[in-house]
Amino acid sequence: MNEQMLDIVDIRKSYRVGPTEVNVLKGINLAVARGELLAIIGPSGSGKSTLMHMLGLLEKPDSGLYAIDGTRVTYDDDRALSTLRNRKIGFVFQQYHLLPKLTALENVGVPLAYRGMAADEIRKQSRTYLAKVDIEHRALHRPNEMSGGQQQRVAIARALVGRPAIILADEPTGALDQKTGEEIMELFRRLNREEGITIVVITHNPALACQCGRSVKIIDGMIYSA
Amino acid sequence: MNLLRVNFNEAFRSLWGARQRSLLALIGIVIGIGSVIAMVSIGTIVQQESIRQFKDMGVDVVTIRRGFGESAAVPFRADVIARLPQEKPQILEVAPYVNSGGDYYRGRAKINLEQMGVTAAFFSINKLAAVKGRLLSDLDANRYCCVVGAELAAFLRQNGLSEPVGGRLTVNDRAYTIVGVLAPSAEGGLRPYGINRGMLAPLSTAQRSFSNADINTILARVAPNTQIERLKAEVSDYFAKKSRGAQVEITSAEELIERMKKQMQMFSLLLGAIGSIALIVGGIGVMNVMLISVTERRSEIGLRRALGAQRGDIQSQFLIESVILCLVGGLIGIVLGTGVAFGFARLSQWQFVMSYTAVLLGFGVSTLVGIFCGFYPARTASRLDPIKALRS
Ligand SMILES: Nc1ncnc2c1ncn2[C@@H]1O[C@H](COP(=O)(O)OP(=O)(O)OP(=O)(O)O)[C@@H](O)[C@H]1O
Ligand SMILES: [Mg+2]
Repeated sequence: MNEQMLDIVDIRKSYRVGPTEVNVLKGINLAVARGELLAIIGPSGSGKSTLMHMLGLLEKPDSGLYAIDGTRVTYDDDRALSTLRNRKIGFVFQQYHLLPKLTALENVGVPLAYRGMAADEIRKQSRTYLAKVDIEHRALHRPNEMSGGQQQRVAIARALVGRPAIILADEPTGALDQKTGEEIMELFRRLNREEGITIVVITHNPALACQCGRSVKIIDGMIYSA
Repeated sequence: MNLLRVNFNEAFRSLWGARQRSLLALIGIVIGIGSVIAMVSIGTIVQQESIRQFKDMGVDVVTIRRGFGESAAVPFRADVIARLPQEKPQILEVAPYVNSGGDYYRGRAKINLEQMGVTAAFFSINKLAAVKGRLLSDLDANRYCCVVGAELAAFLRQNGLSEPVGGRLTVNDRAYTIVGVLAPSAEGGLRPYGINRGMLAPLSTAQRSFSNADINTILARVAPNTQIERLKAEVSDYFAKKSRGAQVEITSAEELIERMKKQMQMFSLLLGAIGSIALIVGGIGVMNVMLISVTERRSEIGLRRALGAQRGDIQSQFLIESVILCLVGGLIGIVLGTGVAFGFARLSQWQFVMSYTAVLLGFGVSTLVGIFCGFYPARTASRLDPIKALRS
């Protein structure tokens, strides 16, 4: 069967802003193999985030096909989409997006809570993944008590905790200084190397992209191998 | 199940996070539920009190009234009435009476006098007692003597008759010797009105000297556990036979109490409706707070959706939040409203009764308000486009 983790064929997306139609994605074809670490680079406004949201099932393409982990995605059932997001996707955002009132441990547990898992089990798993990203000592801290790099580690633990098919990271180092950014990239590489986790990372930094197994470039809604 | 608990925790956390705002919404609900509870409880207290007063007058009494209309225009005959207890053993005692009213002057002072002709049984059935002198007995028949009600006695004292007992009361050119003064008595129910300002003469005397001497009403005391419906039929039958087709109307205390209860329930309902206006205002406050909460937490909603929350999860999170808010407010409101009702009962020296209906109503209504006022905001939250929400 399908060996690809993600497979998109001729995905198009346009937005209507007032009278004008903005074509953001103009027929994207992309396959991401199991265990791959893929970097996406491209200038600002080229459509990287839009593609990422498409891959993360947060956005519906105007046309094109999308299969994730061998399953063809249909967009007509919101429940099924939510379940797919919960099971197959782990998001990491530039702005971390941790819930400010929850501790690191509780933040990590949110995706599991939506699976209806028992509280004890959630806590156990969350702790394991906090340890995996070397931030266990901050388990009971709230986001505003942590540095940006630490928050991003917590966010990565949250992306990992549900054992998703793929981690989608949209400029995960964008808000961090260079050193911390490199540490986060190193973490991704380690997770990819040691655990075989499939990861797609958007970055503006060509140096960071070079460290990834493969990188592609998006320019003006079209994809090119870099 | 765990999901529900997660949403519960989230709801508490977020309410606590926005304490000030939650508190304001809470106050609205507290006042709303509080006034509904207070109003309904006070209604219940008033109801219980009036029924209690009524029962004090005796629930074993029925009135038998002459029917209206041509065929019924036959006055009761005294001998027919007198034989009633022998013929119908459920009837223990009968007290036929006549009454007519008119102004009574003493110098320039005036009182609306109730002239009554009664028998000894009238006093026992109505639980009337003398504070001075004596009551009438059957030995007083045909004599020009009377007992006076408390109000009339006070009137006489103020107007020249410092000691009513032994004095004379001249009505329609006939002088009656006052033999007793009655204790003040509650009026209404089946008890004839105006006893307190009444001059009560022997029935036989009254029938000779009063302008209106027809016996129109009979009070009767019935045995305990009498079946009122059967009694009605038997008594109607009795009068129809003995009095050439006379029709009678029989009213029992029980029926009056039922009627009174119905009226009181309407009264409670009305009070509750007035209280509900405050509740509606409180509910709007909750909806407002929930809408603000949704707007403020758009990015949180987007994130949760990205992490796999179903629409239903988001909706129940906000719904639970609003229900918790309303339930907590409702709980405080119930305590407060009951307190107000208690204070009211104390002030009016009435018996306080805890209205469990009101408490249940309070919980029910606050849950409903929570669901109702939370539904629209919660639905709005669950329908947000995850990406747009996340970006904000
Ligand atoms: N909801 C929307 N409505 C209208 N236009 C949109 C919408 N979302 C994105 N766009 C447009 O699509 C284009 C691509 O946006 P996108 O966020 O994907 O770019 P990007 O490559 O991620 O840029 P950056 O590197 O700055 O993050 C932009 O021109 C943007 O204005
Ligand atoms: Mg972007």
